Amino acid sequence: MTDYWVSKLFFDLQHDAKLAAEYRADMASVIARYEIKPDIRKALLEDDVGKIAPLVNAYLLRFYFQIRGMPEAEFIARLHALQERKESAHG
Amino acid sequence: MAELVGVFAASHGPIIARDWETMAADHRNKLAAGFDEIGRRLAACRADLLVVVSPDHWVNFFISNLPAVCIGIGEEHDGPPEPFMKKVFPRERLKGHAAFGRHLLQTALDADFEPALSHRLKLDHGTCIPLWRIGVDPAMPIVPLIINDLEEPMPSIRRCLAWGRLLRQAIESYGEPLRVAVLGTGGLSHSIGEPTMGWIDEEFDHSCIEHFEDGEDTRLAAFLTDALPRTGNGAHEIRDWVVAHAAAGSKGFELIDYFPSPQTLVGAGFASWKVAAG
Repeated sequence: MTDYWVSKLFFDLQHDAKLAAEYRADMASVIARYEIKPDIRKALLEDDVGKIAPLVNAYLLRFYFQIRGMPEAEFIARLHALQERKESAHG
Repeated sequence: MAELVGVFAASHGPIIARDWETMAADHRNKLAAGFDEIGRRLAACRADLLVVVSPDHWVNFFISNLPAVCIGIGEEHDGPPEPFMKKVFPRERLKGHAAFGRHLLQTALDADFEPALSHRLKLDHGTCIPLWRIGVDPAMPIVPLIINDLEEPMPSIRRCLAWGRLLRQAIESYGEPLRVAVLGTGGLSHSIGEPTMGWIDEEFDHSCIEHFEDGEDTRLAAFLTDALPRTGNGAHEIRDWVVAHAAAGSKGFELIDYFPSPQTLVGAGFASWKVAAG
């Protein structure tokens, strides 16, 4: 289910280098400007890829974790862990 | 009257730009050869105008306003805003062709299609990586045809085929003696920002190629409609190839090269079509 405000945050970060720099310095205060639910705010602060992934377009997600400074290999590994979890849940 | 003189398709991907200088030389050479061959064929057809069919990677549009199709009808467009494009393609502006863009828009509306329009688009890596690598002359006007390939729901494959035929009709009904080429960008299979990220579905890619070679629209639409939901999300960009394919009359597909490119996370495809008489 798409979360509009998380998507909006990611979109704004992609378009505004100043905001992205501010986000790197103080995530919580930038997040507070968006109507983001407490559990999602926590997921953002913890870089919880699994919790955030279903809420936003996959291309925005990739860009967001680049802004966060997560190496692409680590981002891919975290996504693959979700796939493995999904496969083991289905036997 | 204008005429369609060439139809091409090529993959794109941010890593092609970001890692061009640092990737293994043999792989870079393989990618370069595909783009170069399209550049050679495009130069040979002496086009005056290039219609580029491409997705928008959240550069112009957002989920608050997301057109299925948008035609760039401006006199000029902005170059790519992505930081990784600045060093390889530092063009701030690209020349548009307002008169043909407007004619394409009017042709669409007259045929009961309702695209969005833009007098000024930002042309992101999806458009500009092929322009950069193919070596398109900066003086060549570009008419962007943006298709929503990124966020579901997307235009059906049947509709993309119809868009291709409509594009051909618009070219052939344009009153000036323009030589027009079409370039579809994106694909083939890739998977971005989802649990299968990095997966290149070679079986899907080879089936796509077979269907383009087969040239039968109903079979192509049935295959893609069935297969796209089961492969990586980046494969949805095949819609841009489908528009190009139908513009060419759905015949004459010629694969220049295909190879999986795990280095750039895409099934790298390069193709052209021999243009059938309209």
